[in-house]
Amino acid sequence: MMDSTETLSQLVSEALLGEKFPIAKIISKIETENNLTFRESLFNEIQSQKPNAKDGLTIGITGTPGAGKSSLLGELCRLFLDFAPVKKMAIVAIDPSSNISGGSILGDRTRVTLPRRDTRIYFRSQPSQLELGGLNPYTYHVIRFLRKIFDYVFIETVGIGQNEISVSLISDISFLVMQPLGGDQVQFMKSGIMEVPEAFIINKCDEESLANSSYYMLESTLEFIKDILPDQSLPPIFKTSVVKKKGIEELLNFILTYSKRKDKNIETITQLMQWIRNEYGRFGIGIWKQLESNTWNQAVRLNPLGGIHKLSYELEETKFLSLIQNKIAQNDKN
Amino acid sequence: MSAEKKDYLLVDENGQGKPDKPWIFRTYAGHTNAKASNELYRKNLSKGQTGLSIAFDLPTQCGYSSDHEVSRPEIGKVGVPINSLEDFRILFDQIPIEEMNTSMTINGTSMWLLSLYVALAEERGVPLEKLNGTTQNDLIKEYLARGTYIYPPKDSMKIIVDMYEYCLHNIPKWNPSNICSYHLQEAGATPVQELSFALATAIAVLDAIKERNCFTEDEFEQCVGRISFFVNAGIRFVEEMCKMRAFTEMWEEITKERYGVKNAKYRVFRYGVQVNSLGLTEEQPENNAWRILIEALGVTLSRNARCRALQLPAWNEALSLPRPWDQQWSLRLQQVLAYETDLLEYPDIFEGSKVIEGKVKALKEQAKLEIQKILDMGGALVAIENGYMKSQLVKSQTERLSKINSNELVIVGKNKWTDGIKSPLMTDSDGGIFKVDPKSAEQTLGVLAEAKSRRNAELAKKSLEELKQAAKDGKNLMPYSIACAKALVTTGEWADALREVYGEYNPPTGVDGQKLFLSDDKVATVRGKVEAFTKAHGHRPKIVVGKPGLDGHSNGAEMIAVSAKHSGFDVIYSGIRLSPEEIVQSAVEENANVIGLSILSGSHKEIAKHLFDELAHYKANIPVVIGGIIPESDFEELKKMGIREIFTPKDYDLMSIMNKIIDIISVEPALV
Repeated sequence: MMDSTETLSQLVSEALLGEKFPIAKIISKIETENNLTFRESLFNEIQSQKPNAKDGLTIGITGTPGAGKSSLLGELCRLFLDFAPVKKMAIVAIDPSSNISGGSILGDRTRVTLPRRDTRIYFRSQPSQLELGGLNPYTYHVIRFLRKIFDYVFIETVGIGQNEISVSLISDISFLVMQPLGGDQVQFMKSGIMEVPEAFIINKCDEESLANSSYYMLESTLEFIKDILPDQSLPPIFKTSVVKKKGIEELLNFILTYSKRKDKNIETITQLMQWIRNEYGRFGIGIWKQLESNTWNQAVRLNPLGGIHKLSYELEETKFLSLIQNKIAQNDKN
Repeated sequence: MSAEKKDYLLVDENGQGKPDKPWIFRTYAGHTNAKASNELYRKNLSKGQTGLSIAFDLPTQCGYSSDHEVSRPEIGKVGVPINSLEDFRILFDQIPIEEMNTSMTINGTSMWLLSLYVALAEERGVPLEKLNGTTQNDLIKEYLARGTYIYPPKDSMKIIVDMYEYCLHNIPKWNPSNICSYHLQEAGATPVQELSFALATAIAVLDAIKERNCFTEDEFEQCVGRISFFVNAGIRFVEEMCKMRAFTEMWEEITKERYGVKNAKYRVFRYGVQVNSLGLTEEQPENNAWRILIEALGVTLSRNARCRALQLPAWNEALSLPRPWDQQWSLRLQQVLAYETDLLEYPDIFEGSKVIEGKVKALKEQAKLEIQKILDMGGALVAIENGYMKSQLVKSQTERLSKINSNELVIVGKNKWTDGIKSPLMTDSDGGIFKVDPKSAEQTLGVLAEAKSRRNAELAKKSLEELKQAAKDGKNLMPYSIACAKALVTTGEWADALREVYGEYNPPTGVDGQKLFLSDDKVATVRGKVEAFTKAHGHRPKIVVGKPGLDGHSNGAEMIAVSAKHSGFDVIYSGIRLSPEEIVQSAVEENANVIGLSILSGSHKEIAKHLFDELAHYKANIPVVIGGIIPESDFEELKKMGIREIFTPKDYDLMSIMNKIIDIISVEPALV
């Protein structure tokens, strides 16, 4: 069911002010199947109400279960309130769904005790809906929406091996969280995952010596990778301990002062292709290739930082949909 | 008396019949405030009770003073509130503590309560070596089942070791801790889990004491001798008796082989028992009287499996707090068993029984394997922190509930022979249950305010600073706590000081990856409705399962979380001790379709009101259902507030609960 424009406009204006319930309702709509029309109206509405809405930094946090991601995020939130008094952050935490019932248990809500009715931190859980890659099919759009309201948007995913890659595609910066001597390093090296994150966190560094030995192990692993990609500098490694309250200030400071941003045009194209692959398989990708040969798209590819204009995901999706419908109609005729 | 007859009777050295002394009769009691509890204890002692078992209210257990915001709905509800030494003076007024065997069911703040007891004794001029009793102070059940922990496991263990060190040198007859597997059974543990988790915890305590290396070899042996256990006895009484025998034999082996204890006296498995409350039913509650009797037999009938102390629940505990008469009835059962029957006159009557020996052997073998698994993992503390024990318990509990649901496990009056005549015991004007007078909290708060205004503020502040510093320096905290007690520091202040140093602990919830073993028509019906909902709304139904307040009995909430997932809901469950603000915030941020509250402490009215105020703030019209021990007389008021459905222990069928919930949210207008 679509909302009347009036309701949407009201919801959007309240959401842009940071009101939690309107934000929550909009996310639910985004998470609903066949939401293209809704997304179009939503982002148009945001554009018309606040053309210069925020463009929050997206931070991906991923790692194996048990690495302590939630408690780390909890501690980050606590410090964030002190360190960035005028900034706002949102967290989207993704948990796996059950194969049998489709249901899920989303237990990762941080246990940070916020000041009563505080609107500076917003937390939302998402079931993975059996998607591989650790992301929910709607995560990308939820993030895009939250970026308009919050200065920082964190995405927390659970993943092992290759699955972590997906989150890095929609984050400006992504962290891989590990435990000291978890044996993770070797596994990650095998799967090639070490090349993907921009930064690393060795969490649960409650003991100095164990933390240091893990640090050096990871460092040498990364140096090995650096040989493969010689022009890259060594990514930063953080040693954190929630118990001892160590290293988290440094981590937060790194995030708050992070200036590099990924090209949102490339992000859009990647997501669109992923969606097309899921929906229409190789047939769809073939058709996409035709679309991509269009000059404007080439231009975006060639100008990753500037681009000619910002790609609108909804517009591209609509274009693709009409193209593929034509193709299908043609095929039917033949 | 001829010599032949001696074999089967207990006799003294002169061949005269000499029955065993009865176990200690206790009643787990305390409510309202220190004054009312003092009156209750004195009455109970005059009725032939031989030991005190003090129940503390939830704020006292969780380390909050009564004047803390979170305490308000809970003051005096499930036990007595203790804020400072002043409350202990009132609580033990005219009770000679040097003659008592006092058991304090307290964990996170056990060191504090023992310090108050010591301060009281010193004030009265009672020599500390005369004090006799137990502070429960157990880790496993706190983190896994009961939920009144405060500090992280390692720091809690440090506090326990501090108490052993202090007690052995100063209060030699005190049991500083008590390994309590009682709540594990309440949380669904099998006998093997009870055996292995409890013994693994005892091993963790002894290993920690060994590591501190504060005792001579002799002292360490004495210390082993001070470890006591608190065990549950369930309805399968033959198996339970065998469990006790297995406990005894395994403890003997562990203390001998692992710790080299030479003195046989210190290798004895010393234990108290409260029989099972989990199996008590709200339906036909009079049947509980028989259950309690049968459960008591398991731990009294045979000499080799006879407890040191026993406390029996009341027949109506599944309904609400028992009245004094109900407790008296349970005490009388113990007295009939001990004084009217002949069970104390015989040596062990099951010795040589092949059945018993075989069962004991089987239990021991399985428990040994499980203990080894835990030790290989790094011991009980690791198995708590990594969530292993918790998830095992949630698993056993779901299996148990699935069996009740499918009638594989018969519970008379609940899933079989459910029709019956209503009990005349329930028809008294009080409805058969006890309710704490909500105004009684004022008295507690009055004593607290007065104590605070009368004390030397400088001294209180100084002793708290010294406690904090000692905690930072890793010193033994007992002397500093006693100094705090004498300076009239409050429970909340003591606990906060240590919270500052140790932090507060959030354990794993154990529900991740749990499955229900249900696949009948009811499940299909509910899943069908969930699918219909998903189609109509475009997304799965979302439920926030909230456990508000200080009540840490999370089993019910966990079972609902697991069943909701089993039905196809997306479930938000974040463990215990949440404020209504936090629950509403989750529900609002997640745009949940329904909030399910679980409250067992009797504070449902206060908490529900608070919750609705908070929902109103967000203009969020999210349906709320509630489950817990809620007397029927409160239903109307709760519904008036806006509660859509109330579930009590009668509603054991998980899929019927889910069915009602999905029906409620299916008729809600689609969310914007």
